[in-house]
Amino acid sequence: MRCLIWLLLAIIAALAPAAAHEPSLGVLEFREVRAGSYVGGWTLEPTIGGDRVQLRFPSQCSYRPPSLECGVQGLAGRVTVDNLGANMSAVLIRIVPIGGEPRSYTVTTASPVVSILGTGAPAWQTWAEVASTYVNIGIDHILLGIDHLLFVLGLIWIVQGGWRLAKTITAFTVGHSASLAAAAYGIVAVPERPLNACIALSIVFIGVEIVNLQRGKIGLTARHPWAIALGFGLVHGIGFASALSALGIERSLLFPALLSFNVGVEVGQLAFVLLVLALIWGHRRLGAVLHCGGRVVPGYLIGTVAAFWFIGRVARMIAV
Amino acid sequence: MPPHRTALMPVVAALALCTRPAEAHIVSSRLGDFYAGAAHPLTGLQDVVLWIALGVLAGTQPAARARWLVAVFPAGLVAGFLLGLAGGMTSGVAALDAGCMVTLGGLIAMVVRLSAPALAAIAFAIGLVRGAANAGGVGHDTNATLFAAGFATAGYVAITLLPAVILTFRRSGVGWRDVALRAGGSWIAAIGIMAGGYALAGR
Repeated sequence: MRCLIWLLLAIIAALAPAAAHEPSLGVLEFREVRAGSYVGGWTLEPTIGGDRVQLRFPSQCSYRPPSLECGVQGLAGRVTVDNLGANMSAVLIRIVPIGGEPRSYTVTTASPVVSILGTGAPAWQTWAEVASTYVNIGIDHILLGIDHLLFVLGLIWIVQGGWRLAKTITAFTVGHSASLAAAAYGIVAVPERPLNACIALSIVFIGVEIVNLQRGKIGLTARHPWAIALGFGLVHGIGFASALSALGIERSLLFPALLSFNVGVEVGQLAFVLLVLALIWGHRRLGAVLHCGGRVVPGYLIGTVAAFWFIGRVARMIAV
Repeated sequence: MPPHRTALMPVVAALALCTRPAEAHIVSSRLGDFYAGAAHPLTGLQDVVLWIALGVLAGTQPAARARWLVAVFPAGLVAGFLLGLAGGMTSGVAALDAGCMVTLGGLIAMVVRLSAPALAAIAFAIGLVRGAANAGGVGHDTNATLFAAGFATAGYVAITLLPAVILTFRRSGVGWRDVALRAGGSWIAAIGIMAGGYALAGR
């Protein structure tokens, strides 16, 4: 049962690049040199090239790189960043006013328009903007994170559903939320490459546990799935944080960004879990079940794919 | 007009439709080519109607026959997609779609019991036609492999869930539910006739 789900996911996983799904990021920075006049441009050019990205500023502004003239109204209004492309996850726009705190805004392919607020703008508007952007980034991150999804799928396979599954997924959520917050606030810092290797290794472990379970050996995950989910959730959460920190959000907006990003991750994860449970139900209803030796195949598939990722990530770690 | 020529009219009409080019729908690739492929069938009425019709037809058959579609339909989609990429079946898709809708709708409305191989052959044929048509959604900068994987996954999800839902819907043995499904089949056939008519009028 469910072998087809595994087969499809394994094929998709094998097709996906072995690299971790690090977001492709561009950074635009503008510094106010006198009232209404800014100087700036790409401080981190996107991989597709800064020229290909289309920037549209508020109507009062005129941009002739590197000069941005906005007159007495200043840089306030809607800024659109178009043509980001599929591989460009986000662009961070950083505005440094003469006499105030720097402000950062993030635009993505999903949400390419951002409202730049004047210095006197109400804070809730900024928070709403951040929430809208980061929920989308969170959803994108989990849906594109085939390694995280494979881990969750492995847990579903081992736990089989019911309240135990609810507790296990909750434990995973608690784990990655805690470490995401800790890493985002700088309490925990782990280099990205070893971390990605550890995430791949956690999936190898789940693959081995699945094979053991199918052979009648009750492993640690089958006995205490919530503990494993919590433990590895901590590792995966730091991985989520690396995606968040790569966007360079300023500290004053970190809490709403973190909260929104986590909500986005949970929404994506819940959608995936519900889809998998629906497919399991569908297979049972149709009696589309593979018997005998076929039941260990998913464990081998997930283990092989994750081992491939692990070796690739370790090789990149050593190569640097 | 002599009777044999009258009988030939539908065939001539179908052949006339066969020169219509396949249409492409470029889906926003916010989440990359895999998800673009998975979402692409939702951009056309033909896919939505035919996939639902096939799911309903499978759901009206015994589960032991419907289960084969879980593998056969995605395989048909991939084969058709490859065919489409290779340049085959670039014309005649609209006529085939309309014909498939009429056929599937008729089979549902008439509660025809199909053997497992017949059901699988129908599913593979529909997969082939729709796979070829969806290959038109692949842009120059699209990763065709990821797009096809997403597309086939969507087909797998649809053909697993739809028959299961219909089987559950019919399980209670309440008479009106079978009547509702038959009525739904007749609507699908009607949509097929209209689609054929629009395609013919559009020429």
